[in-house]
Amino acid sequence: MNIDEIYEELAVMQLSDSFFPTGLYATSNGLEFLFSENKIKGVEDIKNMIKVNIEQQLGPSDYVALANAFESAKKDDFKNVVQADEIAFIMKSVKEIRDASTNSGMQLIKCVAEFVKDNDIFNQYQKAIKEKKVHGIFPVAFAVCCNALKIKKEKSSAMLLYGFTVSVVGAALRLGLIQHLEGQKIIHDVKPLIIQTLKENSNKSLFDMWQFAPQFDIIQMSHEKMDSKMFIT
Amino acid sequence: MNHIPRIGIGGPVGSGKSMLIERLVPILAEIGYSISIISNDVISKEDADRMRTNLATKRGLLPENMVIGLATGGCPHTAVREDPSMNLSIIEEMEENHPELDLIIIESGGDNITTTFSPILADYFIYIIDVAGGDKYPRKGGLGIVNCDLLVINKIDLAKLVGANLETMKKDAEKIRKEKPFEFINCKTDQGVKEIVDHIIHDVLFDLPPKSIHTEKVQS
Repeated sequence: MNIDEIYEELAVMQLSDSFFPTGLYATSNGLEFLFSENKIKGVEDIKNMIKVNIEQQLGPSDYVALANAFESAKKDDFKNVVQADEIAFIMKSVKEIRDASTNSGMQLIKCVAEFVKDNDIFNQYQKAIKEKKVHGIFPVAFAVCCNALKIKKEKSSAMLLYGFTVSVVGAALRLGLIQHLEGQKIIHDVKPLIIQTLKENSNKSLFDMWQFAPQFDIIQMSHEKMDSKMFIT
Repeated sequence: MNHIPRIGIGGPVGSGKSMLIERLVPILAEIGYSISIISNDVISKEDADRMRTNLATKRGLLPENMVIGLATGGCPHTAVREDPSMNLSIIEEMEENHPELDLIIIESGGDNITTTFSPILADYFIYIIDVAGGDKYPRKGGLGIVNCDLLVINKIDLAKLVGANLETMKKDAEKIRKEKPFEFINCKTDQGVKEIVDHIIHDVLFDLPPKSIHTEKVQS
């Protein structure tokens, strides 16, 4: 392994670490509502929830936005990064989810700006967020950061879906739905699904993006209306 | 961007964090200070809703939208220490849209004695405990009790009822806090609350008058 590869791996570890401050630990993506309604129980239900979200929402939408934004960033094509940001924002139909994604994206950029100084696309994107010319939606912000840190597109994409999985499993643990060993088993079992989703959605353009999980949209919207809650989504 | 001074208030569940804010804000507002409150809550937005009703809706001491509740994913310490990004994102919005504010008060969710605030989030950290937890509290130390800028010991009226010795708490606090200040208060009667206000005006606001008054003087 050469120095560049080690550098890339370290960047992967840093951005994938739950210690990395983007606020994702406070998201349950609707799991809290299901829990409060007693509609989710144990490992299999949680795996199914992750599966539906990855297959029907994150895979065909967030991942495609990330991949396109990444390619555009690599080619110094800022115009298309902006377009990816706009389309990914529009695709998130639930306000709570949309707000959480933009807040996390903006905080991710802010944090990475502490140690990335010499990447033009990154600097333009950060400036555009400040000027409110882009939303700073998470998958696009993540693509811009990964490109700036020289992490490959395939790894960046896997990290996005892995990060989602960990946030749901973390929420399930804190809600007491599962115990810690079961949590790690779920993360392991989801790996083939992540790989399959990446294969199925690779090379899609921004205009091929879709998301269709109406039941989850309703669940996530219902979470917005909960009086008592631990999580922001 | 305009930096608005920020106070973090942390402490165990039921120690009186929200109540302290409800007592501080009227005194500060009467002087003319413009304040916003961000209430981190472990399980609900009840504290934020209560403060909004009591301070904004009923008394008009601040606009209703200046009391913001924030759910913390069951991790109150994370939200104010390791990953304060959600709080910072609200504060950035405040600083951009409400430069008239003199002070932002950030209440942490109820936590344990190791609570601290990230220095990027709070300029000044008040840690509040109460005598009902036992007079051992100051002696036990913990990051919150030892490192905060001001230690507040609340509910002193209950000391006799729960067998807590205030003198012991005072001696232990002096020992563990060294030169740093601490105050005994009773939020129910406002006893000691004025002293907390004095600390805030002197140590956080540097004895500056409210921005509204300062601006009027400059204009005239």
